[in-house]
Amino acid sequence: MKKMINFYLLEYAIGSLVRQKSKNIFITIILSLLTFLLTAVFFITSSIRYELNQTVDALPEIIVAQTKGGKHYDIDVSKADSILSITGINSAIPRVWGYYYFKNAGVNFSLVGVGEFEDDYKEILENGLLIGRGVRDVLKKSYFKEYFNFILSDGSLLKLDIKGEFDADTELESNDMILMSKDNLRKIFDIDETKATDIVVSVANPDEVQTVASKIQLLFPNTRIITKNDLKISYQNIFDYKGGVFLALFIISLFTFFIIIYDKASGLTSEQTREIGILKAVGFTIEDILKEKFYEGIIISLFAYIIGVILAFTFVYIFNAPLLQNIFTGYSELKTSFTLPFILDIQTLVIVFFLSVPIYISATIIPSWRVATMDAEEVMR
Amino acid sequence: MIELKDINKIYQVNKYNKVVALKGINLSIKEGSVVVLKGASGSGKSTILSLIAALGKPTSGEVVVDSVHISKLTDNFASAFRSKNIGIVFQKYNLISSLSVKENIILPLIPSNPDALELEKKLQKVLEMFEIVDKKEILVKNLSGGQQQRVAIARAYIDNPKIIIADEPTANLDEKLSLRFIEILRGLKQENKTIIVATHDPLFFGLDFVDEEIEIKDGHLV
Ligand SMILES: Nc1ncnc2c1ncn2[C@@H]1O[C@H](COP(=O)(O)OP(=O)(O)O)[C@@H](O)[C@H]1O
Ligand SMILES: [Mg+2]
Repeated sequence: MKKMINFYLLEYAIGSLVRQKSKNIFITIILSLLTFLLTAVFFITSSIRYELNQTVDALPEIIVAQTKGGKHYDIDVSKADSILSITGINSAIPRVWGYYYFKNAGVNFSLVGVGEFEDDYKEILENGLLIGRGVRDVLKKSYFKEYFNFILSDGSLLKLDIKGEFDADTELESNDMILMSKDNLRKIFDIDETKATDIVVSVANPDEVQTVASKIQLLFPNTRIITKNDLKISYQNIFDYKGGVFLALFIISLFTFFIIIYDKASGLTSEQTREIGILKAVGFTIEDILKEKFYEGIIISLFAYIIGVILAFTFVYIFNAPLLQNIFTGYSELKTSFTLPFILDIQTLVIVFFLSVPIYISATIIPSWRVATMDAEEVMR
Repeated sequence: MIELKDINKIYQVNKYNKVVALKGINLSIKEGSVVVLKGASGSGKSTILSLIAALGKPTSGEVVVDSVHISKLTDNFASAFRSKNIGIVFQKYNLISSLSVKENIILPLIPSNPDALELEKKLQKVLEMFEIVDKKEILVKNLSGGQQQRVAIARAYIDNPKIIIADEPTANLDEKLSLRFIEILRGLKQENKTIIVATHDPLFFGLDFVDEEIEIKDGHLV
């Protein structure tokens, strides 16, 4: 019975690799690093893309903000009632929120006021705060564990207890968030009872968002109407711009890879050519020789692929992609850091596999194939 | 039976440069006979050997071994033919110097993927036969010329070919080692191997066990 794998051939291939130890170790390291870089970039991208989609989904359909000469101002709460009278609108809720600059750590927190309808939190927030995980970490470093002092516009302090953390679906957004009662928030930002930061509107039929938005614009010409779609586009723009950095990395990786491939594919040394001649002279067929080269190629490229992918997994999901994440979330100075959500990105694994393993194997096989198919009579010389 | 019929061989060196290596060669070698091909360097001896081993094809004419037209075989069948019938000892030995003695000798067995016991048995036999048992694990590059030559013949012999071809086998050996090699050939003759030696070494001339000496000059038989 003929055995499936010719272990002597496999042994010969391994021997061949070992004989050129330093060169092959070098190639393996480079290939692993390239695989790592590409995979990590793809992992981060899809992780953040997922996060952004979640964030966008959670956004209100329409936001109405007051402007004077293009600049934002607080909006009259009473406008919510007028908006409600437009047909097709489910609700129009005034929000109070804002960015609070925490000088000690040099970061911005998003303060969000919880309204009268959100009963769950009402009790807790009477005189306290719920904070996101990122906020907790920042405050801890400044020794605020049980309470936090907000500085009001007249210079006095407002001390609020930290009642706990809240879990968020979308870390990118909620990580830097502090929930508190609307009353306390009004004190901090000096917003009086009749004003709000903006009004969020929900629409019964998603197809009517655009129509409803134009109606609101007609009703209040001095407001800026932002639809979910507008936000989606601007998020996407940030993403695409940052994606450019990744594209550059991607191109550099491919470039390096193809230099290796080119070097391999551009021909065999006379020593390698002679070896193929010897193998043919002792009875190896072209297939035997190509099989041996295939083993050589797959051992190196598969090994490098696996190492690269493991490194990328560890780097992105265990160490949370230091450095690379910052390139993408460039505003990390202002925002608190966040954990990349784990996405099992099979597509990336498949793409990177096909970009590396088969190409490397072909580059190993093709020059040998060219030599192996020539007449072997040169070995007699 | 090995037959060469009306063989011409022209090497096309480049577009403007051809070398006529063989012209009108007719030759037949009986099974079990020992033949010495003699002639000056460049006369065409190696070319004849490479045609018999199906390493190259004649420009015209036919090479027939045991009624197989080997000059018409495709590359893979030529490899299979060599694997089954031919063992070659090359002029420069053509060993892979960074491999061990054992690894070099077993090369002809690899394509048939034999089981380990059978391979070990065959290996042990040739190691003893050519007196290199103690060199088994040594890298070929650390061997002397005479030892390398015995590795080369062990490799040619291991798969028990019917035909053994040797190209200038004593070119790099002193007289003592050359005579020792000739004794090895005598032993192989007793096993009824067909042996073809290309050489211009006078030590091979007039040997008792050689059936035929064929002289070649400028690509044709004298
Ligand atoms: N692969 C080749 N390409 C071009 N010329 C060759 C080749 N092999 C042999 N020759 C030429 O053919 C002639 C015969 O060579 P060869 O058979 O090697 O002679 P010998 O073995 O008797 O020294 C020589 O002139 C040699 O230069
Ligand atoms: Mg020669």
